[in-house]
Formats: sequence, C-alpha cells, structure tokens
Amino acid sequence: MNLVVWCVTGLLFAAGLAMTVLRRQLLAMLLGIELMVAAVNVALVHQACLLSDAQALAAVLLILAIAAAEAVVGLSLILRAFRSDRGIEAGGFTELHG
Amino acid sequence: MTPAQIPLEAWLLFAAPVSAILFGFFVMRPLAPEKTHWPILLSCVIVTIASFRLALPVLMTGQSFDKNIWQWAVAGDWGVAFGLRVDGPGMAVLTMVAFVGSLIHFYAASYMKGDPGFSRFFLVFHLFFLAMIGLLTSNNYVQLYLFWELVGLASYLLVGFWFHKESARKAALKAFLTNRVGDFGFLLALLFILSIFKTSHFNQIYFLVDKGFHLEALPVIGVLLLWAACAKSAQFPLYFWLPDAMEGPTPTSALMHAATMVTAGVFLLVRSWPLISAVEWLPHLIAAIGAFTAVGAALIACTKKDLKRILAYSTVSHLGLMMLALGLNQVGTAVFHLFTHGFFKATLFLCAGNIAHALHQSTANVDEVGGFRKAMPWTYACFLLAALSLAGVWPFAGFFSKDAILDAAWHHGGVYAFVGPLISTLSAFYIFRMFFLTFHGSRQEQKGLSAHPHEAGFGQVAPVLLLAIGALVVGPLRHGVTRLMFFGFQGLPTGWPGVSGTLNLPGEVFLPEFNWAVFALGTGMAALGAAGAYYLTMVDAGWDWRWRGGTVERVFESDFGWKKVVDAVVRGVVGFARFVGGVLDKTWWDGLIEGGASSARALSERLSFLSAGRLNDSLWWMAAGAALLLGRALR
Repeated sequence: MNLVVWCVTGLLFAAGLAMTVLRRQLLAMLLGIELMVAAVNVALVHQACLLSDAQALAAVLLILAIAAAEAVVGLSLILRAFRSDRGIEAGGFTELHG
Repeated sequence: MTPAQIPLEAWLLFAAPVSAILFGFFVMRPLAPEKTHWPILLSCVIVTIASFRLALPVLMTGQSFDKNIWQWAVAGDWGVAFGLRVDGPGMAVLTMVAFVGSLIHFYAASYMKGDPGFSRFFLVFHLFFLAMIGLLTSNNYVQLYLFWELVGLASYLLVGFWFHKESARKAALKAFLTNRVGDFGFLLALLFILSIFKTSHFNQIYFLVDKGFHLEALPVIGVLLLWAACAKSAQFPLYFWLPDAMEGPTPTSALMHAATMVTAGVFLLVRSWPLISAVEWLPHLIAAIGAFTAVGAALIACTKKDLKRILAYSTVSHLGLMMLALGLNQVGTAVFHLFTHGFFKATLFLCAGNIAHALHQSTANVDEVGGFRKAMPWTYACFLLAALSLAGVWPFAGFFSKDAILDAAWHHGGVYAFVGPLISTLSAFYIFRMFFLTFHGSRQEQKGLSAHPHEAGFGQVAPVLLLAIGALVVGPLRHGVTRLMFFGFQGLPTGWPGVSGTLNLPGEVFLPEFNWAVFALGTGMAALGAAGAYYLTMVDAGWDWRWRGGTVERVFESDFGWKKVVDAVVRGVVGFARFVGGVLDKTWWDGLIEGGASSARALSERLSFLSAGRLNDSLWWMAAGAALLLGRALR
C-alpha cells in the first residue's frame, strides 16, 4: 500500500514537473505546478494517516488554500500577459536573462 | 637656528623673486602686461643687494651657515629638508649671478619692449633667475636637483620662446632632451647617494666621506655627477644643445651663458668636490674632458658665421677651461673663471643682441654686418672691452682668471701645458675675427654697409656698459673669490684633499706666484691670435669666405663629425622606440591582449544560451537545484 501511494504520487509529481518544464504554454505550466502541489498533498495525507498526525493534516488544508490562491494569482498574471499582446507562450518572456 | 634667526637677506633671496613672479602673474599680467617688468626689476635690485650683504660676512669672517628651514619630505626618522646654505662657493657664484643677471633683466626690459609675449618672457626669465638662486643656496642634493630641473624647464620655455618658429621649437626640444639625458645621471647619482649615505645633506656627506665611509661607491656617483654636469655645462659628449639654444631671445642667451644655466654644471662639481676628489682618477677625467672640449669648441668657433653661434662655441670652450681647472684641483680658479666669464660673456652676448636689434633680426651673421664701428660707438666700445677680457689681455678680468688656469696647467705639465696657450690663441682669434668683421669689415661679401645700423637706446647700452666695466675691473677680486672657496667646505678638517691644492691653512690663502713665463706665453699667444684675425679679415680680406663650400667647411659644420655620431645615436634611439611602440606594443602585446579578449568573447557567445532568459530553462535549473537539495537532505 505504502509503495503504491509513493509510486502514484511520484508519478503525478514527475508528470507535473515535466509539464511545467517542457510545455511552452503558460496555462499548461500553471497546471503542472498545481499537479505537483496536489501530488505532494496526497503523499502528505497518506503519511499523516499512517502516523496519526493532526498537524500534518492541518498543513494539508493550508496547502490547499495556498494552491487555490496561487492558481488565482497565476491565472490573473496569465490574463494580464494575454491582454498585453505578448501572448501566453513562455517564449515571449525573457526578462530573466542575465 | 630657528627660521626667525635666519638673516633677512637670506629670506629676501627667495621672497623677492617669488612674490615678484606671483604679483607679476596675478596682478600685472591681467591688468598691465606691458609693465610686468617693474616688480621683477625691483626684485632683481633686492636680490643683488641681499646677495652682496650675505656674501660680505662670509668673505670677511667666514661666517657661513647651513640651516634647514623645514622638513618637506619625511619618512620615519629620515627626511629631506628645505634648507639654506650660505657659504663660499655659493656666494662667489651668487653675487656674480645676481649682479650680471639683474643687468641682463634691465637690458631685456628695453630689448623685449613691444614683443607680444613681453609679460610671459619676464615671468619665465625671472623664474630662471630664481631657480639659479635656489640652486646656489641649496643645502642638500634633493633640493639642488629640484632647482636643477627648474633651471632646465625655464631654459626650455625661454629657448622656445618664439614658439611659432619651427627652429625655435626644435632647439628648445633639443636642449631639454639633452639636459634630460644628463639629468638622468644626476637622478641616478642622487638615488645612489640616498641609498648609500642615507642622507642628502652636503655637510653630512662631506663628513662621511672625510671619515672614509662608503668610498667604494664614490667612483660611480662621481661619474654620474660628471655626466650630469657635462649636459648642463655643455661639455664634450653632450655639448651640442648649447649652440642651437641661440634660438631664444638674446637676453636669454646672455643669461644662460653667463649666469644661470651653464654655470650650474660647474657648480655641481664644485659642490661635490669633496666626493669627486676622493677618487684619484676622476679629476684627471674631468681635466681631459675639459681640455678636449675647450680645444674642439674653440676651433669650431673660429669658423662660425652666426654671431651668437661664435659666442656659443666660445662659451663651450671656456666651460672646458673651467673643467680643466677643476680637474687640476684648482677649485678656486675654476670658480673665478666662472665669475669673470659671466661678465665678459654677458657683455658680448648683449652686444650681439644690440647688433641684431639694429638690423631688426633675432640674430645676425657676419655676412649681414660690417663696418658698424661708426654707427654703434657704445656697443663697439663695450664689445672691445669684453673681447680684450675674453682674449686675456692685462689688466682685464679675463687675464687674471685665464692666467691662473694657464699657470695651473703649466705647473701640471704634459699636454695641458700646451692646451692652455693654444686656447689663448684660438680665443683671441675667434673673438677678434668677429670683432673686425662686425665693426671694421666692409667686404663685398658683407651687406653691412647697406644695412643702416643704428645705436641701441639707453636702456640697452647702459647695462652693457656696466657689464663691460665689470669685465674690466673684477680681475683683482681673485683673492676674494679664492678666499671664498676656502669657506665652502666648512666643517671639513684642514688638509682636505680637494681643497689643499688651493688652500693650506685656515685663514690663509694660497695663491700661485705670478709667473712671468706664463704671463708672457699667454699674452703672446693671445696677441698672435688677434694678429692672425686681423690679417685674415682686414689685410687679406675675403680669406674667410674663400675656403667655404668644401670638405673643410663640412668637417667644421658637423663639429668634426660628432654631430653625425649624435644623429646616429638619436636615430638608433628613435628606431628602438619605434620598435617598442610599433612592434612590441602594437603587434605583440596588443595581439596578446586582444587575443585574450576575443577568445573570452567567443567563449561567452558559446555559453550565452545558458542565460537566454527562457522560463523553461530557469525552471530546469530550479528543478535540478531542488533535486540536489533533496538528495543532500535525504542522505
């Protein structure tokens, strides 16, 4: 059971990471981030149940809230980017170059 | 002695010229540039009076002093002071420099009147004068070096005064660069002195040398100082800048040849005499250089056409005589010849200036003059007095100093005994050749009769007349000057090797006895030279022109080939500089630097994809970093 949960959450996390890193659409990248957060959350719930740790469950709720807030901020940023005629492709944003 | 105890005269020696220059620059130059000379002439009078008042007690009682006024470069317990040394050699030369220099200032006031650069001329002229005063009253080598360089700078500015003339610019550069070559010797000597003696003060160095310390270093220091003196005093290897330095205004030449510039080299050797005479062979070297230069320059002077050039070679020749006297250990005689030479050479230059002035030129040559005797009676008289003095005719000043040198050379024997009379003949020949050609000659080769010369004004005649009278009467000052030399090395025990040739006991002055044979020989040879000049210019007129245009003239024009050697050396140096600048620097070094730069640029272009700023790349790095941290954390 333990191994199954680790494998599933690991796969989910890897999929999220791959999505974030490889996809060029900002929306897809945001989705990937959400996927990674969700994978971590699942793992956390499982471990909390195994160890009967209420604090960990509280952290899960906090993470859910933060993920929601993060999705809101991310989506609004993407919306701004879309409206600024720079597109929603990651290639249009190179301000981070050295 | 605190600064307050230093006599007023010693302060004035610096205070008057410095304040005159500052006042002239900040007040007179903007407000009334044509009157810049007033504060400066006042300063000349003050300096002359002050120097005589300082010299008198030194001469009478030997009360010289040597005091540091303030420390101006201190490093730990070591330091260089700015001091005043008022002693025999300094005062002997200073009184002459102040008197002759001041008269030349007065002359310049009317000679330079109306020149667009009048105010600039006087300020730099006085700076020249100030530099020489500082040089003569320095009490350590560092201070001496400072003023030595200041003399060089002022001479550069004055020789190149008419900077719109290319020849003047070239001559100024030549003078400056040649002097820099010599100064380098002085600088090296200075560094040796500082590193070996750990002090630069004359007194302490004299003392150390007398006690026998550091004698092994003296040959090197002595040769380097001699090299510096050869450049400044225009001696053989480095003399060639002086004849070209004629491009400046005539008062500059007079000041340079008589008072301020060329005497500095001889003075440096006199100051360093306790060091130099401690090396046995060094005086012989000095005497050899002096005798060689004296004969060579006198021969060349006999063939020159330009009036100022004849006088310039004559100066080189007489400086050679001073070096000869120094080399024969006759320090007092050398300084005395410097003293009298200042008078008659200043007179001669100013007379040449009057002649050029009458022709409205900056200089003149013997083709352009002739028969000026009637038109310029005062200049004629002054020139005659000074020429007789230069030729060494009794009772003129030049006789006393030249006779003393001849006497010393005679007693020394060898080749020098013949050099002395030879110089007498040649001196008399070139100066009377110039005299007859200028004031009596009237050949068809000369344009003199159509030139309509006129006598210069009072302001240009009076100073020359005073100088000519000086050239007549300063001869008997010989005992005074020689006596002053005795007080030069105060602090030294009697029997000092450098001084004992001139002086024996404290307070007692040794003078060679009057030698009739030398007197007759010197005067006879001078008369022979004058007679030869008369024959070749007046009787067999035109002889002076007949030999020109051939090989002989080329030999003389190239200074017996030495000018070609100098040219070759300069070309070599310039070629080396071009190699360093063009090949070493431009090709090799720049290639290395630019190769490094371009390879760094190529590498960075290859690596620039790392920082393209793409979000996905950054995320890759973030993921990799997070994985790394995770790996470390789980371990």
